[in-house]
Amino acid sequence: MMNEQRRQVLQMLSEGKITAEEAERLIDALDRDRSPSPPAGGSTTKTRPKYLRVVVISDEGAGGDGAAGVSGGDGSARINIRVPLQLLRAGVKLASLVPPQALTRANAELRRSGVDIDLTQLKPQQLEELIEHLDELTVDIDSADAKVQVFCE
Amino acid sequence: MIPQLVTIGWRRGGGGRWRRMHVPVLPVLVVLSPLLLPAVLGGLIACLVFDVSPAGALRGAGRLVWALPGTRFEIEQGDMGVLVNVR
Repeated sequence: MMNEQRRQVLQMLSEGKITAEEAERLIDALDRDRSPSPPAGGSTTKTRPKYLRVVVISDEGAGGDGAAGVSGGDGSARINIRVPLQLLRAGVKLASLVPPQALTRANAELRRSGVDIDLTQLKPQQLEELIEHLDELTVDIDSADAKVQVFCE
Repeated sequence: MIPQLVTIGWRRGGGGRWRRMHVPVLPVLVVLSPLLLPAVLGGLIACLVFDVSPAGALRGAGRLVWALPGTRFEIEQGDMGVLVNVR
């Protein structure tokens, strides 16, 4: 199958339909398609993550009993949040309905609070792209008394 | 799919155990349906007053509700805790 495609590329080159550079690029692309061969027995189909997870485990003032993520000490805290990425997308779509006059008022209030962000410049497409690429996000903070993890699953 | 079951859990201090309340969404919606209609009408009027597309708002709200299943919030601080799970 692969040889057949390679032969077709070479034939197109010999007939002058494509240049040598184009032929090289096509053959490279064919090689790239072939190279990620699946490991024996394993499936390469990577499922897209569905949820955004935020896990915070804090052992402040506790006697170190939160190692397994179980709270119970005096100051230990545990936060476990799972939000479907679809919900974030729906939220972004809903936020795009906010009327411009409300955004300008929000801008004015933000500026008064010292946050100089122009919300009108924030396009829904940009936010959607941001959510689209969230599945590659991993935040892992591990300090002496707290552990924070943000990831998609 | 719309949420079917919402679980609300809480635990008070003093070594109390978790208490959970399961809320079946559809039966509750049916019970509250007489209130739902005026609420939707109020929302539509608010949309017109604030210059927001009512159809867009309705679609957005629907999408939000449809995306809710799978959401889980679990916060514990010492002996106290609160949990919200949407299925």
